[in-house]
Order: sequence, then structure tokens, then C-alpha cells
Amino acid sequence: MSPPLPDHALLVHAMLMGNPWLQGLVVGGAVASAALSIAGFSIWFERKFAGRMQNRPGPTEVGPAGLLQLVADVLKMLQKDDVVPAKADRALFILAPPLTLLFAASALAVIPWGSGVAVADLHIGLLFALSMSSLVVVPVWMAGWASNNKYALLAGMRAAAQAISYEIPLLLSAMVPIVLAGSFRMGDIVAAQHGLRWFALWPPGPGFFAFLMFFMAALAESNRIPFDIPEAESELIAGVSTEYGGMKFGLFYLTEYLHSFIASAIGAALFLGGEDMGPLGHGMHWMMLKTLVLFVSIFWIRWSWMRFRADQLMALCWKVLVPGGLVLVMTSALWVQFL
Amino acid sequence: MSLLGTFSTLAVSLHNVFRPQTTVPLPWKGMRPRAERYRASFALVHDEHGDEACIGCQMCQKICPSDVITVVAAGRRESPNTGKSRGWEGGFTLDLNACIICELCIQVCPADAIIMVREQEQPGYDRNELLLTRDKLYANEHKPLSWHSGTILSDMQVPPKAKPAAKPAADKGEG
Amino acid sequence: MSLPVPPAFPKRNLDVVTTTLVGGLRAPAHLVGLPRPDPHMDLEDYDPDADLMALNWGPQHPSTHGVLRVKVWLDGEVCVKAVPYLGYLHRGVEKLCEKLGYAQITPIVDKNDYVSPMMNELAINMAFEKLLDIEPSPRASWLRTILAEIQRVASHLLWLGTWGLDIGGAVGGGATIFMYCMRERERILDLFEELTGCRFHYNTHCVGGNRHDPPVGWDQHAKEVLASIAERSREYDQFLTNNAVFRARTVGVGVVDPVLAMELGVSGPILRASGIDADLRRDAPYLAYDQVELRVPVRTGGDNFARYEVRMAELLESIRIATLLLDGLPEGPLSSQKVVKLPAGIKSTSGRSAYACIESPRGELGTYVIANSDRKLAGQPYRCKIRPPSLHAMALIPYLCPGLTMSDMVVTVGCLDPILGEVDR
Repeated sequence: MSPPLPDHALLVHAMLMGNPWLQGLVVGGAVASAALSIAGFSIWFERKFAGRMQNRPGPTEVGPAGLLQLVADVLKMLQKDDVVPAKADRALFILAPPLTLLFAASALAVIPWGSGVAVADLHIGLLFALSMSSLVVVPVWMAGWASNNKYALLAGMRAAAQAISYEIPLLLSAMVPIVLAGSFRMGDIVAAQHGLRWFALWPPGPGFFAFLMFFMAALAESNRIPFDIPEAESELIAGVSTEYGGMKFGLFYLTEYLHSFIASAIGAALFLGGEDMGPLGHGMHWMMLKTLVLFVSIFWIRWSWMRFRADQLMALCWKVLVPGGLVLVMTSALWVQFL
Repeated sequence: MSLLGTFSTLAVSLHNVFRPQTTVPLPWKGMRPRAERYRASFALVHDEHGDEACIGCQMCQKICPSDVITVVAAGRRESPNTGKSRGWEGGFTLDLNACIICELCIQVCPADAIIMVREQEQPGYDRNELLLTRDKLYANEHKPLSWHSGTILSDMQVPPKAKPAAKPAADKGEG
Repeated sequence: MSLPVPPAFPKRNLDVVTTTLVGGLRAPAHLVGLPRPDPHMDLEDYDPDADLMALNWGPQHPSTHGVLRVKVWLDGEVCVKAVPYLGYLHRGVEKLCEKLGYAQITPIVDKNDYVSPMMNELAINMAFEKLLDIEPSPRASWLRTILAEIQRVASHLLWLGTWGLDIGGAVGGGATIFMYCMRERERILDLFEELTGCRFHYNTHCVGGNRHDPPVGWDQHAKEVLASIAERSREYDQFLTNNAVFRARTVGVGVVDPVLAMELGVSGPILRASGIDADLRRDAPYLAYDQVELRVPVRTGGDNFARYEVRMAELLESIRIATLLLDGLPEGPLSSQKVVKLPAGIKSTSGRSAYACIESPRGELGTYVIANSDRKLAGQPYRCKIRPPSLHAMALIPYLCPGLTMSDMVVTVGCLDPILGEVDR
């Protein structure tokens, strides 16, 4: 039932001789570079978009229309003094930023970009993606502890509580497409939405609310406003990354964008049909478009809304989203069984 | 309340995306014109006869709340241009580093000698570059001067009474 | 001259809640007698098993509104005790005033409440005029009222922007509301630049009147600016008031007991948001305020949201009043005195003192001046004492913060609108 693989995918497959190691390395490398570039580019885009929302141009100096701003930022971060605080836990302090990036980026492996392009379309793809993104809590928590800074500690505790709590609505809302498609494999979920039968629209009810819940939980997992209490710089200066400078901070910064991007991609694949656009055809460009729509919405919300307080955030999760998620899963199960 | 109100926030920010931007480009692409009365720096001027207007009365030095002005009075002698005997200054220093731009020195000057300049001094690498000496102050005379002088300011507060003859002196205080 | 009657203002909440009398004023009964934490509580008495974390909030912090330091003891996220430390911005203004003449003091005192300098200048010059028995000219009184109201608009805009930063984050929704408010405030500062030459710290008030006369076309420009701000304030309303996140952060947070507020000397929007109907402009009119019918917004919530509503209503009311007053500027000299050239020529004032207070955007701003007995120093006051409204608002911190989480503390202290410049002088 899934659309036939186009020629270039077959060619690549043939070239790599079906060798999973080679395929993982080459395609994974390509996807990772592409995703990091997009995350980097989105830093420029967000600043421009935020600027326009505030009636100002955003970066304009470096490069045409400020496009080289990322290059300038990276160069700036690279040449900074790499300081580890005296009483900080050195090993954890240094390990935390790259681990965050590693875990966040690992979820890229299973996202179906369309046209048969996926680094590794695992049978338990979605489970893998969600597990990897939940592992991001650990290095963030590490950074909060290892900084030897009360503000960072507070932030780390808040981040851990928030991330662990919002795992549950994330999983529950992701269960809805799993139940409706009958498989954990991302490729199968996308294929089940073939022909404009997107899970966000059909069946009417559970899919749409599950989409909203997934979006909110994804915002919470990537620490974006309105759930960015771990990074609340009006209260906690810079949250977990208070003591970090230079490229270590750069890695945290990049991870935030990358994590949002991955969450948007997964959301697009699970609920918006991935590469499918019904009568308009299918292809990687549609997947990218949907991902970008969600990604831009994340920015839009970030620059418009205020942030929730920590206990309000938790109340929202446990009192609203978790029971709602259970109801949605049951509804979709009933749907599959009887309809 | 909640849901619609929450999304109206998004509507406002999106609406602002399409508004023309409020900020102006950085100075080296063209500084926006300042108001006529803008106060930035200082200039010592020459009067209508070509003499230096400052008579060395040191009133600006006395009125300055931050003590940034130092005037050396140079006694009385005849002016080369009008032949009348008048006071002169022999050294004038204004420390722009410490000036609070309160304009009292301009207000108090009986000879309209010190006037504010509408252009900002350029930043320098050394504190001394912002210590305005006599030469720098006279050099500033050619920059765009602010609209008011001591006389104009005084007349704004208590305009001179219009003389019964056909001399419209009241215009001096307004506009 | 008679000004038009204003349209009906929204019904004051005071009319619909039960009120009691507190010190002769009506106050909402549900706010009076709220339990008060003990600000001097000994931490050992709190809970011997609790692991309290002592955190220094400030003086360098993105949201302490100046250099405020508050030492908080946290039990997890909840504050148990808060002790504010003031004085990080002390500049010795009052000491400096002891050696300066009347004309020289205005630019120094200008910098106290650095967000609304017109108020500082107004307060000090009114006190001087009272001391020296000088009546400002009618034109100056009228102009001072207009400038004070426009300055109030600018101050409330800045408050809203920085408070938004506290709630929503400097990288996020707060920054957006901040930029919008600054955009509007810049237009007001441009107005002041046309009038006085300075966007800020104008030194435009003097003893007996003002220094700068409005240029031709200024009142037209001012009306346009005010009208556009009134229009844009609808956007702020849309942006914030009904937003679920904003309401969740501000409703019910930081409730101020009006009795406590009055005991501590708090005035202004904080008091009005707790239901006390008190406004110096209406109760003890000065300048041209007796010529306008001023509507004073009062709310009974006592929380951050109520203070927000009060300040927004005050903003619109100030725009209305300034627009009305701009039409009727009386002709005449701008000052009843010839310019005070040097600190001399003042008549003998030995042994006299005077107190003048105004309604600044933060509350009652008062100045107490004592004249010099020494005849040689007749041109200088002996002592100027400034009563800053924010200082009394700071006194609320040890009572408000216990029981609030860290995030709430940030929002609440921001909502009290402290300006450390006037707190510390």
C-alpha cells in the first residue's frame, strides 16, 4: 500500500549493497548534516521572524540580509575562553553538552523523510525516537548539578521534572497513530495516511486532539515557551547553561533548535501524513514543508506567549493531558476495533 | 475567554509582521535628523562683530551643578572689532565626560556665548578626547547648533513686553 | 474654561463587593485581614528538617529592576523568607543637594526616578515654590500638568514592557510586548525632544515655571502621538489581558492587603488595585487638576492582574486628560520669575520648611525642603528630603514573598514597579 520507491532511492540502495552499516553511515551522515544545517539556518530565521514580529529587521549586518549571522555566532563562540568553574564536577560538566546533542540528534535516524529516504526505518522506529529524546533529560540534569551554581541547580531540577512528566502525554499522544496504523514503524505510519487520510483529520476526534497534545508535549520536551521554565532567563539567568560559555553553550543552543526541529518532523510524520499530499502527489518536499510549518509555529508561539509557572506546567500535564491522553488512546482503540 | 484570547495574542504578533518596521538603520547609513532644540555637545561662538562672544564672567562655571566648566578670566581690554572695552576669557574647558547636559550654562550666559550643538561628539579612545578645550569648542561653532541660546531661553520664560511702537518683539519668544 | 464631560467609565468594582472601613477609607472586605507572614521569622523556627536554600536574588540579575538584592530562603521552589537589601544605587543625592542652589538641584533630582523625570522635577520645584512663596504662572501650571500626564503614559508603557520581560522571558513573548511598548514610548520621547531638547532628564521645570515653551505645532503632534498610543493600547489588551498563560501567571498572585499597604505607606496603583480609592490628583488637586474631571480606576483583586488593569486604565485616562488639556494652554509668560541666574536674589526664608507631594506613576512622591537660616547661603536650601513611593513598595517584599514560588516572586516584584533610582537616591 505504500507508494513505490523512486529510482534514486533504489540506486542508492543498490550502491550501498544493502549493507546496513554503510547505509547508516552515508545516509545518516547526510541526514545529520542536513538537519544540523537546517537547525543552524533556523537560528537566523527565528531571529528575523522574531524581529519582524517586533517591527524591527533582525540581523542585517553580517552578510546579505544577515544570512551569515550563524557563521559570525559560531566563530564568536569558538574563540571564547572555555571556562570550567573551579568547584564544578569537571567530567559531568564537560560531557553534558555533547551528550545532549547526541541524544537529541539520534532521533533523526528513524524519521521518514519521504521517497524511501530514512536512515534506518526500524520496526520500533517511533519507540526509538521517543526514547532517545527522553534520554536528553540526563545530560541536562547533569549540567544543572555539575555547574556548582544554585540557579543552574534549580533549572536542572525543573528541567528534569518537566521532561519526565511530559514524556507521558508525549507517548500517549504518539500511541494514537500507533494504534490507528497498527505498527511502531514510522514508514508504516506514514503509509497508513496515504491519500489525505491524515491522522490529525481522520478519524475525526482522537487524531486532532492527539496532535494538539503531541505538539504541547513536544514544546515541553524541547523547553520552548510556554514551557521553558528551565531556561527562564528572567528568573534563572540562563537556566542550566548559566555557567557554560563558548562552544559548550553553542551546543546547548543548537540542541534546542535541533530538538524542536526533530519534534516537528516527527509530528508531521505522525499526524500530518508525512510525505503524502493526496491529489497533489507525494514526496520529500511535502514532508519538509509540513515540518517547517510546525517549526515556524513553534517560533510564533515562542515570541507571543508568556511562560507557565513550574507547578502550573505540572498541573497541566498530570491533571489535563494524562487523563486526556488515556481517553484518546482508548477512543482510537475502539475506533480500530469497531470501525 | 481563554482559548480565543490566547489565540488573539498570536493574531497580534502576526499582524505586526506585516507592519512597516519602526527601527532605522545604523548611524553610518544616515543618522536621523534631530529636533531643533536637541542638546548634545557644546560650542563657543563669535558674536555679530566677529569677536569671541565669551566675556569671561564665569557664571557658567558657578551655575554648573557638576563643576565641569573651568573658565579663566582674562581681564578687560578693548575689542579689535568694536573698540569697546569688554571682558575676555583666557581658557575654557568643559569636561564632557562628566557633563549632565542640564543646559544651565546656556541659560545663564549673559552674552549667548556658549550654545549647545545638535551633533554628538564622536566617541574616542581616550578620556581626553571628550575634554572639550577652547579650540574644540570654537571648532564646534560650525556644526549645527541647537536652536536656543541664553537669550532665547530667557525670552521663552518671560517674553519681553511688546513695545507700543511697531516692533513685534513678542515673536522672539514663540515658534 | 469648562472641559467636556467624560463618557461613563467602567463600573468600579468597589460598588459590587462588600467593603469595610479601614482608617476612614472603604476597602474590600475579602482583602482585609489576610494572614501576614512574619518578616523577621527565625529560620530555625520554620522547620528543623527542611533543607532551605539561601539564594541571593540580585543585585546582578536580569529582572531586579535596578540593583535590588533580595536574599530569599527557598524550601524547594517556595520562598520562606525574603529580606531586601537596598542601597546599591545610593548616589548621595540628598547630600549633594545640601550644597547646590535652587536652580542647580533640579537636574540632580531629575535622576532619582529615572523613568519619569518630569515627576521628580515637578515635586522638587513645587516644594521650592511653596518654600519661597512663589506662585508658578498659569501657563506653566497648565503645561506642567500636560507634561506630567504624558510622562505618566511613558512610565506605564515602560513598566508594562519590563514586566512582560519578567513574565515571558527576554527571549520570547516578553520581548515582543517590550518592543511594542518601547515603540510607543519612543514617540513620546520624541515629543519631549522637540519640546526641551532632551529625550530624558530634561531640566525643564524651574522655580516659578518652566524653561521651554512648546514650539509651534507641538500640541498637534502631541495629540497625534497620544491618539496613536490609545489605539495601540488596544493591541496590548488583545495581546495580554485574555491570554490564558498570562492570566494563569498573574491572577491571584501577590495579593496585597490594603491595611498592610496603608501601614507601610504604600500609595498609587498598588493601593488602588487593593480597593482603596485614593489619588492625590483628585483628592488634593495641584496644578491644573482641578480643571479636569479625573476618573480614578480602582480594582478589588489586589493581585498582579488587578495592578495591571489599574495601570492600563490609568494610561488611557492620562491620554484622555493630556489630550483635553492640550487645547486650553493659557497665554502668558512661562515663568512668574525672571530666570534665577545665580543662587542669589531669593528673599529671606530663614527657618521655613515646606512639603509638597504629587501623584507619580508609582504613588505619592513628596519632597520636604528646609530653607537655610544663614543669610549668605540664602540661595541654597538647607536640606531636601525626598519621599520616594517605591521605597514603601519595597517594604512589601518581606510580606508578599513568603509562600510564593521563585517565578511568582519575579512577577510580583516586577508588578510593584520599583525604581531603584528613587528608592536609593
